[in-house]
Amino acid sequence: MSIRLQLLVVALTTLVLPWAGCQYARELETALRDSQEKSLLASAGTIANALSAQPQRVFRGPEDSPGFAPGGGDLYVYPLRSVPLLDGYRDDWGVAAEPTALPSFTGYDARVQAGATEHYLYLYIEVDDAEFDAEPSNVRLDRDRFDRIDLTLERPDGTQDSYFFGTNAPGLIGAQKAVKGDAGPPRVLEEPRIQAFWLQTSAGYHAEARIPLSYVATRLWVEVLDGRGPRRAGVTAAGFPQGGRLFFTMPGLDALLGTFIRDGTRATVIDANALKLGAAGSLSANAADETEADAGSWYRRFMSVDTSSFPLEAAAPDRLGGNSVSAALAGLPHAEWVRSAGAQELRLTAAAPLIVDGRTRGAVVLEQAGDQLLGLRDRAVTRLFNLTLLATAAAVVVMFCFATWISLRIGRLRNAADSAVGSDGKIRLDMPESASGDEIGALSRGFERLLARLNEHTQYLRTLGGKLSHELRTPLTIVRSSLDNLESEGLRDDQRRYVTRAREGTQRLQSILSALGAAARVEESIKQAECVNFDLRELLSSALAAYRDGFSHAHFALQTPGDPCFVRGAPDLIVQLLDKLIENAVDFCPSAGTITVRLERAQGSYLLLVENDGPPIPQALHGRLFESLFEQRHGRDDRPHFGLGLYIVRLVAEFHGGTAVAANRSDGGGAIFTITLPLI
Amino acid sequence: MANSGGATFLARLSNALVIRYDSAMKKHIAIVEDEPALRENYGAALTRHGYSVKSFGNRRTAMQAFRIRLPDLAIIDISLEDEAEGGFDLCRDLRALSAELPIIFLTARDSELDAVSGLRLGADDFLTKDVSLPHLAARVAALFRRIDALRRPDNAADILRRGALSVDGEKMQTIWNGTPVTLSLTEFWIVHALARNPGHVKNRQQLMDAANVVLDDNTITSHIKRVRRKFQQIDPAFDAIQTVYGMGYRWVE
Repeated sequence: MSIRLQLLVVALTTLVLPWAGCQYARELETALRDSQEKSLLASAGTIANALSAQPQRVFRGPEDSPGFAPGGGDLYVYPLRSVPLLDGYRDDWGVAAEPTALPSFTGYDARVQAGATEHYLYLYIEVDDAEFDAEPSNVRLDRDRFDRIDLTLERPDGTQDSYFFGTNAPGLIGAQKAVKGDAGPPRVLEEPRIQAFWLQTSAGYHAEARIPLSYVATRLWVEVLDGRGPRRAGVTAAGFPQGGRLFFTMPGLDALLGTFIRDGTRATVIDANALKLGAAGSLSANAADETEADAGSWYRRFMSVDTSSFPLEAAAPDRLGGNSVSAALAGLPHAEWVRSAGAQELRLTAAAPLIVDGRTRGAVVLEQAGDQLLGLRDRAVTRLFNLTLLATAAAVVVMFCFATWISLRIGRLRNAADSAVGSDGKIRLDMPESASGDEIGALSRGFERLLARLNEHTQYLRTLGGKLSHELRTPLTIVRSSLDNLESEGLRDDQRRYVTRAREGTQRLQSILSALGAAARVEESIKQAECVNFDLRELLSSALAAYRDGFSHAHFALQTPGDPCFVRGAPDLIVQLLDKLIENAVDFCPSAGTITVRLERAQGSYLLLVENDGPPIPQALHGRLFESLFEQRHGRDDRPHFGLGLYIVRLVAEFHGGTAVAANRSDGGGAIFTITLPLI
Repeated sequence: MANSGGATFLARLSNALVIRYDSAMKKHIAIVEDEPALRENYGAALTRHGYSVKSFGNRRTAMQAFRIRLPDLAIIDISLEDEAEGGFDLCRDLRALSAELPIIFLTARDSELDAVSGLRLGADDFLTKDVSLPHLAARVAALFRRIDALRRPDNAADILRRGALSVDGEKMQTIWNGTPVTLSLTEFWIVHALARNPGHVKNRQQLMDAANVVLDDNTITSHIKRVRRKFQQIDPAFDAIQTVYGMGYRWVE
């Protein structure tokens, strides 16, 4: 695993930042939720206190009528914002709620809804009765049966009046009232101030009725009767004397509430039955930046607080429900989060009891959408998340670049270390990065010190031969001069034999020493060589002539270009180079073998090739042949081979800016030494 | 005259005083060499050849003796005891005392630089210790011969003339275009060998034999180079010594 990869993995640990951000956002959300609960609850309490001080603006009367029971004919009167048209339709009422069913034991389905404007009470009655039974003329209630709606009103003074609706021609009709005469059947009189619109449909009929509020105070009993049979639905004043209550909202309360609340909050005042007395505000006042919420929405999947345990919203159009409402009506302020039924939205409900004269008469309920909170949180989280992601990405990029840089530096150092000791055994002392102050720099400097020590040692080894030869020369001279003296003293023949042997030994020692010191001498003389322009071709032909005389056992062949080949260099050194190559070739060339010297022009240089028949160069020696004092090949004779010859060849070639390479002939029957010498 | 092995300076000095009266006719050779065995070997060999030899181990004692009496010839090693280049200093001082005194460097140091330095200081010859005793004796004799020849009136018996060159084999003097060329003994013999048979190629071995030295190829090459340079100092157009690659050198007129 490369350093780059390792650091990249390390860099990935910065992903913990976004994770921590998520955790933080969750805590933030919980905290926000808590604080929102508290603040909403406080608001609710404030409003409740304010309203408690003026109960006449909240409640119609000093008494409550608890036990709202639709089964007993109790009706909630929706406040109507505009005056509806009497047309048999309630579309223009602006009430979202469906009408409530009238109680029936006879399977007669009818529904009723009540609404009120400032002066009128409106009733909407819907009856499922496909057969229309018209009201006969000169109707007698005790005799005639027809589709009929009975209304019993309790007037403000406590008296009760009964009216009925029936018609033979659907449309705008008036209410009728049976008036008992002095004799005979009761007469039926029309009450023109109570009107209705009778609309016949395929499923039954609708009636939209309008009653002046002066006719009705707190109770209204509604019963519908089928014209053909005993079926009926609804309640009668006789059957439910305590039923048929009308629960009105409080006029002016909406406006009053509106002064308390701010945007995004809905305030509702309910009575002890949890029925709404007034409401103001809306939940979606400021639809917080939709786009941002959408952009952040994907975070919610894995970071939002689990809300599935929250209770579902328990509100109806006419009343409120839920734990907070029941708690408030029991006298305790309470706030809770609920889920709205349809959308996956959260809503905060805070309810505070309305306590008048020590009695809990109702409650103030404030609602706020959780979206607001979510938006707030999402904004924060989105920023946090984006920032941390950005930071992570930046960290990864920086780490990657840094790792690449480190890798590069180490790679440079490694390459330098690899090539520090060249194929020629020379040691490069300068390492990259050694100027930098960090560990890599220290490593590099360590390398440099190591190389310097190695270089010293190599230098010592390199000069050891020369030094040794120098140091040994004096004792050798002592031996030899002593032998000289001994000989001139006059020796017997048997003594002379030993002296001769000793002299031979010193000769050999002498040649060994001179070979050992030769490298240093050659290097020195190369340093002092002077360069001239000369014709390499002429030099070769002259030298080859000498070799032909000197080495008789091999054939010499010379191949040169037709025209003079001028190079710049020291001809003496070139001859010396040639001498060494030829000596080497002769050593390995079998008797009657051929030594070919070729001069070729190549790109930018001359190639001087010396090729000899003979054994190939062992693979292991390639590249080491030109080292100083290296010799493992065994030539034809037993002369000491210290490998200086080829070392000199390399030195001379390099002095001329060229190279020396040894290779085997492709047929394996000989070796080729190639010297390149640059053109002038 | 043999020197006793562990002789102290005083003993040697008294010996030298004796020698002064004892061997007035003999040539005096001073050997300055810090290696006692070599010193004695050289001394023995030269004594055998009829010279009076006085040897010194360091520059100080040698100079003290030279101030009293100059030898006829001095053989000096370059490194003397603790002085790595003491021989050079000694040569310089000796040359200051006498311009004609033949001086031979005989040293284990064989570098080109040492040879050049030694000859530049006015030494007549520069020999490495590879030289054999007979060769050394031959050189010493040759130098004395030259001294003697220089002292004698001119006789043109052994004068070789090749164009602008004239080589006096007796005085070992070389003249080019009428100007003397100051050559060391080795260089003189090389020039002499080449000029004797103009046009003939002399290989390195032949040149070494002529100069009575054992030298390696490189040293011969640098000798030739030096000789050419000395001629060129007199005559920049000098081109009489020609290299025959792979074979040797020849004199062309």
